[in-house]
Amino acid sequence: MSGPILEVRNLFKSYDDGRIEALRGVDLSIDAGEFVTISGHSGSGKSTLLHLLGGLDIPSSGSVLFRGALLGSAVNLDTYRSDHVGFVFQAFYLLPTLRAIENVQAPMLAARHHDGDRGQRAATLLREMGMEHRMDQQPSKLSAGERQRVAIARALANDPEILLADEPTGNLDSTNSARIMEILTGIQKSRGMTLIVVTHEDEIARAAPRHIRIHDGRIAS
Amino acid sequence: MAMSLSFTGYVLKNLRRRRLRTILTLSGIGMAVGAFVGLVGFSTAFEQQWMRIYSSSGTDFSVIQGSFLNTTLDDSATAKIRALPMVAQVSPTIFNLMDVTPDVNALVYGWNPNAFEFNSLKILAGQRVRNGQREVMLGDMLAQDLNKKPGDTLELQGTEFKVTAIYHAASTLEAAAIVMPLGQLQQLSGMDGKVSTIDVRLRPAPAGESQETYLKQAQAAIQAAIPGARAVPAAERASSNQFVKLAQTSAWGTSLLALLIGILGIANTMAMSVFERTREIGILRALGWKQWQVLAHIEVEAALLGLGGGMIGIGLGWCALCVLAALPQTASFFVANLQWPLLVKALGIAILAGLIAGALPAWRAGKLSPVDALRCD
Repeated sequence: MSGPILEVRNLFKSYDDGRIEALRGVDLSIDAGEFVTISGHSGSGKSTLLHLLGGLDIPSSGSVLFRGALLGSAVNLDTYRSDHVGFVFQAFYLLPTLRAIENVQAPMLAARHHDGDRGQRAATLLREMGMEHRMDQQPSKLSAGERQRVAIARALANDPEILLADEPTGNLDSTNSARIMEILTGIQKSRGMTLIVVTHEDEIARAAPRHIRIHDGRIAS
Repeated sequence: MAMSLSFTGYVLKNLRRRRLRTILTLSGIGMAVGAFVGLVGFSTAFEQQWMRIYSSSGTDFSVIQGSFLNTTLDDSATAKIRALPMVAQVSPTIFNLMDVTPDVNALVYGWNPNAFEFNSLKILAGQRVRNGQREVMLGDMLAQDLNKKPGDTLELQGTEFKVTAIYHAASTLEAAAIVMPLGQLQQLSGMDGKVSTIDVRLRPAPAGESQETYLKQAQAAIQAAIPGARAVPAAERASSNQFVKLAQTSAWGTSLLALLIGILGIANTMAMSVFERTREIGILRALGWKQWQVLAHIEVEAALLGLGGGMIGIGLGWCALCVLAALPQTASFFVANLQWPLLVKALGIAILAGLIAGALPAWRAGKLSPVDALRCD
């Protein structure tokens, strides 16, 4: 491990002109290659924290640093999302007009991967997910588990250093949940990636070497 | 090898996804561009036919009345212009639009029987009209429509004329027209002693003098000799012709209205598309698409709608021109043809219309926050 890849300092996030405070002074440091789970009950602020770590949103105050550089000023958020972070969402968020293999290529369009490279790379990633026979299917023709595997392949498209998963098993049955977690932890180990998983399931939360609990917008443990 | 997804490929998939709306939008912009191609194409072809008349007869200047309300010149001006040293030939003329049958109308030219304009006509059968005689010559296109030949008679405004010849001319405006002695048309039009224009041919420029300087001097001399008149160079005469001006003004006016409706159609489609795809835009932003990339993909989508509509419009416009060229009421004014500048202009306007229509929805899409867009149902 080579020092913190992400640091969070006195992070606040509020909505509705300050009436709702989702995060209230969070401090956190995550090392490169670490596997961390964040849990908490509904509305605790765990997804908000993940969105801020992933550069999807900007904090009301405080800072998020990527390799010591401030997100949103020293590091452009668009570039950060396209080159350094991959997202896996509970609702999969596949693009309905695109086939599985095209969905995996969508982030590559932002990162300007070489034209001939895109299809080949997407196919390789889908094969790694055991989806070689379903590459040409539209998302509507895939099962929930298959959709999430396509979403994981898509998250890896630009070879990010950080993988952020927001309730990745929330829409899956127990068998598929176990399979998805197996894939995510396998990727983290084989690639040495930083994996941050937000979950409300205790079993998944305990699977990580480091488990952070959020309560009312603050880190509880 | 697996196929690579391209930026344009993604845009096309979005257009195909909402087929009916895409087809309706394409039809809307297609009709707008079709109106533009048809109407502007008509006025351009009409102007070209006028230009052909002046160039084939070798006219250097057309002398017309300078004021807007009075459009005729006194016939006596002809002698004053003829007396100018640089003038080689003058030809007073009248042209008028008349009903030949209830369905067919035609331009009627009144020329003196020795006018130099006759040199640009090729007589196919019969002989030239004579001064003082109730005689007409018919262009071959009109003769064919009316099924007339030399020796037949033709009734114009209650007066019978003898057809003396059938001729061929380079311009449709002459090939589908009638030529009669100037005096006869003056009587028929109630313009005794008046003419519409006086066409002028100049002598060659003196050695050592530039053609441009010579033409300017001649123009000034003619205008000085006939106060209130304008000597219009032949090249400008076609575009300053009142018929042409009227056709151009109404063509552009109608086309712009149609294009405005087309732009609103695309704007509506793109606004709906952005609204419906808010979450998808959020996904793209989460995947690292930059603001300008989101904006560009909406603009490319709108421009492609414009381009597609433009191509459909060119087809529709061409059909409209063919119909106009075949109708008896308009067949005598032009020949249906599409020229590259008009096609380029039509496609350019269609794409520009798409870009304008897509600008606001694209800007709004680009400004969406990824997390807000993802939350959208």
